[in-house]
Amino acid sequence: MIPVFQYSNIPSASNTMMLNKQTKIIGEDKVLFDHIWKTGKGFYITISILGALVLWGLYAYVTQYRTGLGVTGLSRQIFWGVYITDFVFFIGISHAGTFISAVLRVLKAEWRRPISRLSELTTVFILMFGVGSVLIDLGRPDRMLYAIRYAHFTSPLLWDVCSITTYLTVSSLSLYLALIPDIAMLRDLGGRREWFYRILSLGWRGTEEEHRRLDKAIGFVSVLVIPVMITVHTVVSFVFAMTIQPLWHSAVFGPYFVVGAIFSGVASVIVVMAILRKAYHLESYIKPIHFNNIGVFLMAMTLLWFYFTFAEYITVAYGNEPVHMAIFWSKISGKFAPLFWLHFTLCFVIPLPILAIRKYRTIRGTVIASISIVLGMWLERFVIIVPTLTRQRMPVAGAFYVPTWVEWSILAGCISLFILLYALFTKVFPIVPVWEVREGREKAAASVAARIESYMPETGPSRD
Amino acid sequence: MYDGKKIVPGLILFLGLVTYPLWHNLASGKLNYVPKLKLPADKKECVEPKEVIRLNHKTLLEEWRNSVVRNAGKTYVAYNKKTYTMSLNRTCMNCHKDKTEFCDQCHNYAGVTNKCWDCHVYPKQLEEKQS
Amino acid sequence: MDFDRRGLLKVGGLTLLGFLVKPGWQVFSKDEPAEPSPGAETLARRRWGMGVHLRKCWKDEGCTDCIDACHRVHNVPDLGTLKEEIKWIWRTPYEEVFPEHEFEVTEEDYQRKPVMVLCNQCDNPPCVKFCPTRATWRREDGIVMMDFHRCIGCRYCMAGCPYGSRSFNWRDPRPFIKKVNLDFPTRTRGVVEKCNFCEERLAQGLIPACVEACKEKALIFGDLKDPRSEIREALKLKTLYQRMPELGTKPKVYYIL
Repeated sequence: MIPVFQYSNIPSASNTMMLNKQTKIIGEDKVLFDHIWKTGKGFYITISILGALVLWGLYAYVTQYRTGLGVTGLSRQIFWGVYITDFVFFIGISHAGTFISAVLRVLKAEWRRPISRLSELTTVFILMFGVGSVLIDLGRPDRMLYAIRYAHFTSPLLWDVCSITTYLTVSSLSLYLALIPDIAMLRDLGGRREWFYRILSLGWRGTEEEHRRLDKAIGFVSVLVIPVMITVHTVVSFVFAMTIQPLWHSAVFGPYFVVGAIFSGVASVIVVMAILRKAYHLESYIKPIHFNNIGVFLMAMTLLWFYFTFAEYITVAYGNEPVHMAIFWSKISGKFAPLFWLHFTLCFVIPLPILAIRKYRTIRGTVIASISIVLGMWLERFVIIVPTLTRQRMPVAGAFYVPTWVEWSILAGCISLFILLYALFTKVFPIVPVWEVREGREKAAASVAARIESYMPETGPSRD
Repeated sequence: MYDGKKIVPGLILFLGLVTYPLWHNLASGKLNYVPKLKLPADKKECVEPKEVIRLNHKTLLEEWRNSVVRNAGKTYVAYNKKTYTMSLNRTCMNCHKDKTEFCDQCHNYAGVTNKCWDCHVYPKQLEEKQS
Repeated sequence: MDFDRRGLLKVGGLTLLGFLVKPGWQVFSKDEPAEPSPGAETLARRRWGMGVHLRKCWKDEGCTDCIDACHRVHNVPDLGTLKEEIKWIWRTPYEEVFPEHEFEVTEEDYQRKPVMVLCNQCDNPPCVKFCPTRATWRREDGIVMMDFHRCIGCRYCMAGCPYGSRSFNWRDPRPFIKKVNLDFPTRTRGVVEKCNFCEERLAQGLIPACVEACKEKALIFGDLKDPRSEIREALKLKTLYQRMPELGTKPKVYYIL
């Protein structure tokens, strides 16, 4: 908590100076700093529940580590299930930050300013759980480093290792660079944590020169992370697409997975935005227009996702090859039909009218659509992975997959740990980038006006 | 010293706890424990000299493992030009018959765990299992 | 460049990158093995293949001698459930092994008969491509090998195999092995295993256990490169089938009807 506010009832020259300095730094954005210093009962209750879930997930994993993967519902026939679904799902969600932070920055959309850090943070933290899900799925996790020591580069799993490592590095860098001016602000506010912020702020003084350099660096990293983002989920799709299994071996998997990733990622960012807005009273920074703009984009992504799904299934159905059709029918009308149609409803039927009709595209509407999308996309990954394995290319009877408590507990534990780490981050750093919001306030109007001026056709006497 | 009455006893207690393994072993006589290895009665030499194999048996076994499993090379030429088959059970355990009386004596003492026996079956273990 | 803090960071970063060059080069240029394996040339002179003579096998439809022999010799556990079973060689109805042979108009009497199915030891194995640690590789003599020491249990090879030949140890197999064979190790939980054409027996000059155990001599084994080998003789002038040859895996198990 900020110490000087407590001492402010003792008038003295240095205290007044401190107070003035702090008031100057915080300015009119007190609510952006409040969540760092003020911790309410709600926060402690949330942390306790999340902590309990994390411990439960840990217990489930220890059970699995001691007995073997047999405690899951996996079998000789269906050997990839919830964990690999989690892997693809979490890596998919990680595309959120890159889109909102990097792509919108490159496109010079000023409204991205309050939400860029919360989405970038989602990316960085959830990537770790994506990787974690694969490691949880390994039969011999004590040998996990063999994938690096004895790396065999014809394997798409290795390509995954490379691209996800790159993505994690670049995203973390992007998050950190954009944090520096805010860390400097917190350093200048003094207090018990001043040493911590001082080390991390790298001596930032806020000069024009430094801002120029930072802009250049963030700009470079933002442009760099966009092809990495596309590569990451394409490579994740290659894990399936490179096999010769029916309904996996599809050329459209690359772009299909990338679109699905951006789709689920942006939806999850909306959910995060809504929660933070409510919990930390950020209503004047994260406004309905943010939800509206992202909602419109999400609608476009819904349609794009539908296009890819439609293209995928219609080509399979039209080709009518028996090996493929057996799995196709199991999804459309067979064992997996309930899950398939549920996921389709959640990903398309529910979100589209909400997002397309302006009247419903309110904050509540977009959040409902987004929750539906996030759940639907988890099911979509499941429905891509498991039905193919029930049969592969052979007529095998009776294979079914029912995940056990271990798999669900570990999923719950991963999500809880993600939320827990996220919440702890908000206790140390401001979740809305203060310097970017201020930069927007001061300079955005002028720079946007100047930019629009430059688009306009030349007026005045024609030059001959 | 400020708060000395709390710090000094606390420090003594901490040092005592931290050095517990040392003085406990000294007091109970365990410090003088030397692992007792049961050496094979009839054979006098190993595939390598005693000092060499004592230090390097882990690396040697890993080399043998890679050679046999991955490179299909089964013959080992020792320092004395004798040839041996590269095999844990057929060569090593052929002489050092019981792992509990040989391998485990030093491994347990030094706190070394190896995973060889998770898969490889040694003769005595088979007898115990079948009975 | 000024030797201030930025300069120090630049020099430090470049030095760190420089330190990574040698190990990075080693990791990326390493190809297994560094020198050709001592037996490579000898191994490459052969190409092992197996023939399954179906009608001979069908003389005793309830027989499981080859399965019993293989699983006994290799300490394959009997876990008793479809979920966790491990099998190196097993029986499948004909119509499931060769679904393409079933036509509406034919009335074949052997659609439900058992066919022995095992790892096809492909010449172009998809499983080998997918392994991230090269725990499975194709040896020069054609056998697709498994290194249980290196397998990390990711099960990607199982996803790559179109024949479903591979099994995974979902728990510790030792309690489920009836009688342990001392000459062959067991496996731990968390690794993938499959038929290895009895390469340890081939090294000692013996034929595979299943081939030896078959009473009817329905399993034929030999060197496909040797025109006078038993298998080449058996495959001559007969109608041969292979499982899913159109996939390009080049399997080396032939079915003789």
